[in-house]
Amino acid sequence: MSRLESCLLMFLALCSVTQSINVEELNEEFTESLLLRPLPDRKVLAHFHFRSSAPPSKTYGRHHHIFPKSIYQLVHKFQVREMELSFTQGRWNYERWGGFDPISSSNAKPPGVELWAEFDVPQDQVDESWKNLTHALSGLFCASINFLEHSTSYSAPQWSFGSASGKLRYGTLPREAVCTENLTPWLKLLPCRDKAGLSLLMDRPSIYRGYYHSQRLHLKSDEFGASEMSTGMVLEQTLTVVLRPDTFSGKALQPSWSLSSLFGRSVSRKCSLSSSSNVYAQFEQNLLFEGDKLKEDREALENAISVGDGFEDNPLFELSLAPKRVIKESGNLQKAGSILYEFSVEDSNEFKPFDLGLNWKVPVAWSCPQAPLQASRFLLGSGNERGAIAISMKSTRSNNVERTSSYDENECWLRVGIFQMVPWYVKVYYHTLKLFLDGEPQSSMENIEKILVSPSEDKVSTGVLEMILRLPCSVNTAALTLEFDKGFLHIDEYPPDANQGFDIPSAVIHFADFVANMSFHDDSLKQVPILSKLQEEVPVVSYTEVLLVPLTTPDFSMPYNVITITCTVFALYFGSLLNALRRRVGEEERLLNGKGARKAGPLTLMISKLSAKLRGKKWEPPKQSESGRSSSKYKLLAKVVLVAGVAAAWQFYFQ
Amino acid sequence: MATSFKFKPLTISILLLFLYNAIASSASGSSSTTMHTNNWAILVCTSRFWFNYRHMANTLSLYRTVKRLGIPDERIILMLADDMACNARNKYPAQVFNNENHLLNLYGDNVEVDYRGYEVTVENFLRILTGRHERAVPRSKRLLSDEGSHILLYMTGHGGDEFLKFQDSEELQSHDLADAVKQMKEKRRFKELLIMVDTCQAATLFSQLQSPGVLAIGSSKKGENSYSHHLDSDVGVSVVDRFTFYTLAFFESLNMYDNASLSSLFTSYNPNTLMSTAYYRTDLYQRRLEEVPVTNFFGSVMETIHTDSPYRAFSNRYYRKSKTEMPSDQSGGGNRRALKDLDILEELADPKLNVRPLQSTYLLVHEG
Repeated sequence: MSRLESCLLMFLALCSVTQSINVEELNEEFTESLLLRPLPDRKVLAHFHFRSSAPPSKTYGRHHHIFPKSIYQLVHKFQVREMELSFTQGRWNYERWGGFDPISSSNAKPPGVELWAEFDVPQDQVDESWKNLTHALSGLFCASINFLEHSTSYSAPQWSFGSASGKLRYGTLPREAVCTENLTPWLKLLPCRDKAGLSLLMDRPSIYRGYYHSQRLHLKSDEFGASEMSTGMVLEQTLTVVLRPDTFSGKALQPSWSLSSLFGRSVSRKCSLSSSSNVYAQFEQNLLFEGDKLKEDREALENAISVGDGFEDNPLFELSLAPKRVIKESGNLQKAGSILYEFSVEDSNEFKPFDLGLNWKVPVAWSCPQAPLQASRFLLGSGNERGAIAISMKSTRSNNVERTSSYDENECWLRVGIFQMVPWYVKVYYHTLKLFLDGEPQSSMENIEKILVSPSEDKVSTGVLEMILRLPCSVNTAALTLEFDKGFLHIDEYPPDANQGFDIPSAVIHFADFVANMSFHDDSLKQVPILSKLQEEVPVVSYTEVLLVPLTTPDFSMPYNVITITCTVFALYFGSLLNALRRRVGEEERLLNGKGARKAGPLTLMISKLSAKLRGKKWEPPKQSESGRSSSKYKLLAKVVLVAGVAAAWQFYFQ
Repeated sequence: MATSFKFKPLTISILLLFLYNAIASSASGSSSTTMHTNNWAILVCTSRFWFNYRHMANTLSLYRTVKRLGIPDERIILMLADDMACNARNKYPAQVFNNENHLLNLYGDNVEVDYRGYEVTVENFLRILTGRHERAVPRSKRLLSDEGSHILLYMTGHGGDEFLKFQDSEELQSHDLADAVKQMKEKRRFKELLIMVDTCQAATLFSQLQSPGVLAIGSSKKGENSYSHHLDSDVGVSVVDRFTFYTLAFFESLNMYDNASLSSLFTSYNPNTLMSTAYYRTDLYQRRLEEVPVTNFFGSVMETIHTDSPYRAFSNRYYRKSKTEMPSDQSGGGNRRALKDLDILEELADPKLNVRPLQSTYLLVHEG
């Protein structure tokens, strides 16, 4: 009996223990945040970040109340493992806005639409899934993403997007317009739509008036993994806008702004479905460094020692609200890291809307950290037959460079990865690849560590170039050139505005040795999604410009021109033929005489009088029979004299 | 035996005659006896480039009207050949105006464009009408109408004698359109179709139509041009065409439950102000225009019918096969364009039941 009881007790104890272990709240979660950062050229960066997550459907089921159903169905229908879709207008200005921070590495995107997706299907079904995915996305986001279905518009990169599985496809449409119709369905994926929370700020004219705007959707799912530890689906939506405040504070001073002056709205309703809604104001380390210098100068002047962590007595600026928390990035040896002021939107309502403002006190100039090399791309050559693409990279000598690879004493190499996709009608000759270091052409290929070329096939596939260059750290400039021939398209393949030219999509330049991330001392900050995203180690990526290549276009008005010329020729031929056949010599004069017999006009009388006076003869009214002939002669003479007079006057007066 | 052989061809011919009659009567009777289920709108702007801003404004004005009067985005197919709102030349980004007073932003906050830019082609247009898409095309880009749908088809752009120009590179001819409508009728994709065209020589575009149930109005006759209304010197281009401007002037005074009829719309066009003659053809349309409310095409009215409780209304006791008889004229109508023969009405007429309005549930019947 006692043994049984003890067994029972132990069994119960075990049960309770296992139950307590298995108690894990499986819940969907939604968070939203907004990061504001002043930029050195009098503009403001606003970065909205929305994150929805759903637990794996094996354990949680298929019914969600926060996670958008359309995305869930998309993932399940096409078995998407990871996908990123971005709609961008404008060009990210790397020189002024920085290229080394996590926001520019993840959110500086090429203009138009960019889509890449990795699938969890067998290798031969990837293209089919990609095609169906592009169609589904075009219906979902009101854009012509379905143009990416043809094999002439997408490619399969191996090294550039982090996954070497061969199941990743990449495509981009540089000329796609981005407007309210793309933002509308994107906002409908949020649980609070644009009716509450931070998305209330998205006033459409203000966003589309910006210098750069990019809406991005990043989806990651583990649904189809074999492992038990799947994390479900995570959907991250970001909107990055660079705006210029309207206020003018003087030529040297940076403009002061507030949320209502930037967007025309303030947050008057909080989204009750989000577990956290925060606004962050970030000030970069270079800016703070200037502030510290100014403080030291003042202190030296006044012989005073100031105490405080820098919020209230900041000499550079002041914020209109008090922050909930001040988060300091752990910097490097030379400078302190950037500072994030966190403001909570939780208690905003209609009577007390949330409106954060920034006032600058003194003029200040600073620079943003740059990527190690600044890349630009342009076309060489002229004419409609051939040309060349050149990628030029300039060293920025940034001091903020942090490396993860080991520093070799003898040789220091800078690894640069380049991915370039060229449409088939720009026929690139990859054997003409030339590399120039500091202006010197390199004869050997020792600077190319790895290269993968997939030449284009007419009307079948694009040309893809992926390579990893190994440049010495002390290089100043590096350049690559590739020659190409321009191809011909079929008349039906020309777009309606063919005379504008054709686009070569942006090249992707990534620096594998460098990671752009922020690190914070406090590990509990990883719970906040935007901060954990900022802490994630993303490789530094930059995009080059889109190139516009003018191709030979046929004369689309050709039928009209042919008809006009043919008709003219016919008219001349038949006209002269008929004229020649019908005309009888002398008939004209007889006709004229007949007409002139009726009466002599006053002009002819005057002319005959004049001629009589000149000749000195007596003037007689002209006889009727003669009058016709003479009148016609006089008329002709008069006309000739008139024309000659007009010509002489023209020449004389208007020369 | 001989006589039976003689009778056989006779019986066969009689049977065939009956069969033919039956088919004919069912075919001709179907359009007048099917119930009106939903309203669709296909709004097409075929012009590209900034100087054709007014065609975009025309289409967006109709889009706004149709949405305001009740047709949801799922049943509107909007085709815009170029992007004007976020065009680099637009001084007012994300805003499209149809009047120089700039009072109304047609683009608004929620606009869904189904076919954009280079997708607006004659091929895609005919695919929408006939429903012959590739398998991957999503539902939001398809015309999912059924045999009880009323469809509004609005086209604007540059046109001419028997054609409509698409994006300066292709043409839709009048017999292409007539053929597509014929296919739609054969596949029973609409009950009634209203074609509204705002181009030069618009009436020629629907001159080849022959399918019954089609009503068409164009902004000008053969040989006449359609003109723009006014130039906005701030935006820099003409912002609306005359025909659409006066159409909007008619609709802005309406709300969803108004009873204005199609004949009042068609007769409201004054050739002097339009500077062209708005020509319409009603020979293919059986109903009288005075009896057709404009919201039959331009809006979508939901009517609510009281029931006592949902379960009791559709219980087996009262269930009967409903006849699909609809009175062809709606003159008894006014607001109560009710269904005449569903069981609910039997239910309501039953004196044994007390219809208590307060505790009942509402049955939403899509009527308009």
